[in-house]
Amino acid sequence: MTETTFETDFWKDNALRKTWEQIIPGEPRKTIPYTLTLEAIQKYCRVIGDMHPLYFDEAYARSTLYKGLIAPPAIHILLMFSCTPADDWMRSPGTVNAGQSWSYNIPARPGDTIRLEARALDKFIKKDRLFVVHDNVFFNQHNQVICSGRGWTIRPQ
Amino acid sequence: MTNPSTAITTGQKITGEPFAPTRETIRDFCEASLDFNPLHLDDDYMKNSFGKTQFGGIIMHGMNNFGVITRMLTDWVYAHGGMQRRLETRWKAPVKPGDVITPSAVVTSSRTTAGGQWFTLDVSVHNQRGEIVAAGEAMVEVPLAH
Repeated sequence: MTETTFETDFWKDNALRKTWEQIIPGEPRKTIPYTLTLEAIQKYCRVIGDMHPLYFDEAYARSTLYKGLIAPPAIHILLMFSCTPADDWMRSPGTVNAGQSWSYNIPARPGDTIRLEARALDKFIKKDRLFVVHDNVFFNQHNQVICSGRGWTIRPQ
Repeated sequence: MTNPSTAITTGQKITGEPFAPTRETIRDFCEASLDFNPLHLDDDYMKNSFGKTQFGGIIMHGMNNFGVITRMLTDWVYAHGGMQRRLETRWKAPVKPGDVITPSAVVTSSRTTAGGQWFTLDVSVHNQRGEIVAAGEAMVEVPLAH
């Protein structure tokens, strides 16, 4: 099985990324469809220490209302980076996460092809800090909303 | 799954498992989330000032905290036949390697709709010194049996 490789050096494409000045609220961000694997779900779960059988035990998961393995709600943490290209401004070194607000509809599942619609929604200056609010909706291959959320980031100066 | 939502009451407090970040867990979180921001990797970079803020060393991802809170909520609500519907968080203080953080939540209200019983919770995360590192609000739903 081939796995997509992702750039881990966030300095490399930094000159290509939009600065606070250049970010236009309302303008869509470039996104990339991503196939979520069971391996990626379980890797995330292990790091958090979240070993719930809904994410690990196929027989158990099949016996529940979910009828199979699912990803935990917070899998959007991975999806945010797996569904965006290396020059996306979410990767700008020094981007500080100030807060997040997420709403969950249906779970993501292993094998789902996930699509992201994303944009900056707002930008402002508060206490001498440059803020951008980002707005995101993740869909599965059936165009069902998995989750939607906003994040408040402080941009690097 | 049955529907034991009667077991959830306003004022009920839940506490999650403590999480003890290390340099290794932070690195592992980079790998699992694909978020390789130098805030979480590069001590030299973290000697810089960030506006008025000085971190003095690498910090844990805020979203690692989000995952720890989510684990608490889902462990609790799955057992009640329900699901996590919402989580809003604000990061109040950085978390560093060597800290131990513990999430907790209190059910503040409930509302029954046509499809289910919804509960709102105040959420917080404290470190080993009793300092609050994250605060927020969550909603869970226990669907009505039809």
